[in-house]
Amino acid sequence: MAVALNPRRAAHPARAPRVPLRILTAVPICDGHDSAVTTINIELARHGIEVIYLGYHQSVSAIARAAVQEDVNVVGLSSYNGGHIIFFKEVADQLRHSGNGDIPVFGGGGGTITKADERIMRRQGTDRIFFAGTPLKDIMTIIQRDYARTAKPNAKFKGDRSLARAITLVEQNLSARRPPRVIPARRQGRGFVVGIAGPGGAGKSTLIDELTSRFLRQHPTGRIAILANDPSHPDTGGAILGDRVSAIYAQDDRVFFRSLATRGSLTGLSAATPAAIGILQQSGEFDLILVESVGVGQESDPFGSFGQSRRLTDAVLFVLAPHYGGLIQLQKIALLNGADLVALNKCDHPMARTAQAEIQARLNQNGRGQVLHSTTAARHFDPGVDALFAAIQALGSARGRTGGAR
Amino acid sequence: MSQLGKIADSVDRYNRFVAAEVARARSDRKFAAELRARWAALRASVTMTRSPTGTPLPRLALPDTDEPGAIAEYLFGQGFPGQFPYATAAYREMYLDHETGTGEEPMRLFAGLGLAEDTNARFKYLSRHQKSLRLSTAFDGPTLYGLDSDHAGVLGKVGEGGVAIDTVEDMGRLFAGFDLTRKDASVSMTMNAPAPVILAMFIAAAKRRFGAGCVPNLRGTIQADMLKEVQAQNEVIFPVDASLRFLCDMIEWCVPNMPRWYPVSISGYHIAEAGATPVQQAAFTLSNGFTYAGLLQARGADINAFGPRLSFFLDCSLDVEYLVLGRVCRRIWAIGLRDVFGAGPKAQILKLHTQTSGRSLIAAEFQNNLTRTAVELMLAYMNYTNSCHSNSADEPFTTPTEKYALLASHGQSILLEESGLFKHTMNLFGGAPGLLALERQVEQRILSVFREMDTLGGVIAAMEQRYQRSQIQESGHRIETQIYSGERPVIGLNKYVSDEPMPSVPLARTSPKKQRLQVERLRAFKRRHAKTAPAALQRLAHVARGGGNVFAELVDTVEVCSLGQITACLADVVGKFRPMV
Repeated sequence: MAVALNPRRAAHPARAPRVPLRILTAVPICDGHDSAVTTINIELARHGIEVIYLGYHQSVSAIARAAVQEDVNVVGLSSYNGGHIIFFKEVADQLRHSGNGDIPVFGGGGGTITKADERIMRRQGTDRIFFAGTPLKDIMTIIQRDYARTAKPNAKFKGDRSLARAITLVEQNLSARRPPRVIPARRQGRGFVVGIAGPGGAGKSTLIDELTSRFLRQHPTGRIAILANDPSHPDTGGAILGDRVSAIYAQDDRVFFRSLATRGSLTGLSAATPAAIGILQQSGEFDLILVESVGVGQESDPFGSFGQSRRLTDAVLFVLAPHYGGLIQLQKIALLNGADLVALNKCDHPMARTAQAEIQARLNQNGRGQVLHSTTAARHFDPGVDALFAAIQALGSARGRTGGAR
Repeated sequence: MSQLGKIADSVDRYNRFVAAEVARARSDRKFAAELRARWAALRASVTMTRSPTGTPLPRLALPDTDEPGAIAEYLFGQGFPGQFPYATAAYREMYLDHETGTGEEPMRLFAGLGLAEDTNARFKYLSRHQKSLRLSTAFDGPTLYGLDSDHAGVLGKVGEGGVAIDTVEDMGRLFAGFDLTRKDASVSMTMNAPAPVILAMFIAAAKRRFGAGCVPNLRGTIQADMLKEVQAQNEVIFPVDASLRFLCDMIEWCVPNMPRWYPVSISGYHIAEAGATPVQQAAFTLSNGFTYAGLLQARGADINAFGPRLSFFLDCSLDVEYLVLGRVCRRIWAIGLRDVFGAGPKAQILKLHTQTSGRSLIAAEFQNNLTRTAVELMLAYMNYTNSCHSNSADEPFTTPTEKYALLASHGQSILLEESGLFKHTMNLFGGAPGLLALERQVEQRILSVFREMDTLGGVIAAMEQRYQRSQIQESGHRIETQIYSGERPVIGLNKYVSDEPMPSVPLARTSPKKQRLQVERLRAFKRRHAKTAPAALQRLAHVARGGGNVFAELVDTVEVCSLGQITACLADVVGKFRPMV
């Protein structure tokens, strides 16, 4: 299948760097077939697209919520075990009914979605079905051609979409340093902001999800926001933003979860992060705001812990796992000095005992009274995570922010 | 702590033992004489039969030798059928007695569509020519994920790809009219994460119909293999440790109370369908089996009590390794269970169900799928599988329609009843040079995967490091690349492609009207039990929290609670599974 490129873009090949497309991909509820979507995700990212992957077995409301909070250009669903006619319709309906009908939905399902199904699905709000045998290359061309459009900057949205939209605008126009004042604060309290940093693979995302579950349990009416940074690929500009897959407690309307690609920033955070924090704080919606950096190295300081000027967050949590490589390596980690809270995660590992002793000794050198929290976030109901959450709340109260402790 | 290294070592040790016995047979006259005498007695025990064209044939083919070394090689290396190490077969005679009607058919056809009464009708259609009762059940997506049919957003999936079961009453409708207490009746259920709830419903429904005394007579298999779910199939509800605990609770309850039931079917099928090579399929499946055995032993269960209740399920596709995969698996399992777990003969036998490969079937020129399935069936029976399902040619685009399900069933009848291949003589192929060469290679490659997992800390530790998933995905990707490049020919797809348009084929879909009927039934059930359900769920939560046997409680809970209510209750206690990325 030959696909003509957009003639306008072809005529202006040397335009300023394009804003990456953002796509949400997912597999519908009661369907665990994730091999096709995994292949598509990699291919999309290779084509410079930011892919927010939600995972398999995803409900209509989880998909719609993620599409809104991530402010994506389009939603792609990979469905292999039937029921697609109703499911796709419900996703499109839910987006439309919540005032987000500008986000189109496309899908694919190998041989399970027939041409006759497609006709019905298109009538009921699905934008396009890719049939079995469509070459990946053609899929990519069509997506880049047809879904690059986004809502106009002055389009009006409600609720989480207005927050999400404001963050997108900041991401697209980083020269505007001041966050746009789009959301009038509904109530007092700007929310306690915690930056979370640590090496890749330390379990930051899982730990954040476990902290989220404690927040939701202990604050039956509060809201929590999470800004999850993941790296953009330096060559293609694409990214697979996969933090939502393991964020099982983020599937709740009281959680605002936004994935941010770094888009060339080397600090461990998207350059839009400060403004995004501002937007979330201004909204007055959130008691607790968690900001996750990408996996960072020994010299990193994404949240400005040592800066003379204003720190980006109210507190910094540094997370590491037992495999940090020895005492000398530990000495080099700058954030062990700068962090307000330090957690050793994966404490079910045999190396954990040694690590606990070495890290505590390292913290004692700082003379700041830093306490090491030992956590095993992969284990549900871990008492170490309970203690860490209590410590975050105590810090919030001490600094005069709610931190959820209302 | 992993035993995989020990198991790999035990197989190597056994191979050295065989080599030593062969050498001894050739050097030690007394031993040689013993072997010859034993061999003569075995050969004398083989009776003769006659083909329909009058050719006399032995009912069991044995190597035509009198040389003590060759005898030792066969008896210790391969094993007389039904004897250690069981490479030849689990039992002395299999498939032979179709014409006389004394044997049970190995054919077992998987079915499930729409509501319980639709699947019941399909069961009746498929079993009308069968002597023994073989009912194998596929469930729909909501049931597989433990959700009720009225759960938000699942309506379109109700009855799609399998049968919708929400309550004990649905279970009653599913098997209505079948005498499940018959000696030759056997039910199988492809059900994993919610398996304890579904089996409890099965027991409760059977008690309602046949009386409380029927439970020990119920015979069948429930898949319930949570390790392969985490590794490949993705139908997981609870965290891994809780999933394994609920499974072990069920197995421990079944062993004394349902002596004819197989409470777990350790499955490579989904691992292979997700892309694993035959060696990976065998290695991951066997190692999962050894892990279950280890977990149960650690809970104090007796290997000789639960060992015979473990069963296996493998995929059979077109790769050459499938010629021997069942044989090699039986041998490794027997040696590992005997030498590492201390199991007696009954627990050493790997009971095998095989299904032809769904992944090998394609939509393009889909009638070729009939041939693909026929070849796979032949490979499966050459491995002396204990039971077998053959796929329908229309599966790439639909739940099997009646027409193609019947053709799939007839494929097995043609192989076993019409052709003379398996009818007259047992062990036509065992010991052939090609098979032996393959067996040795495949076995060694399986053992090296065991050793790799051993260094990672065993199956569960490897799984937490995403080892199995990464290996499976890598292999799946390689297959796709090979198909794309043409290195792996797929007729009608990348070779000998015709321009014929895809014929329009009927689809088996569940109508929205039926889906709504299922929801109405479920809601009526919930209304009727609105007063009693909360207390039943409280009792269940109490047992789950206290560490008691959850399955024993579930048998009562299902009387008044739906699948979705029970899943939600247990998730409150143990949490939810967090997918691995």
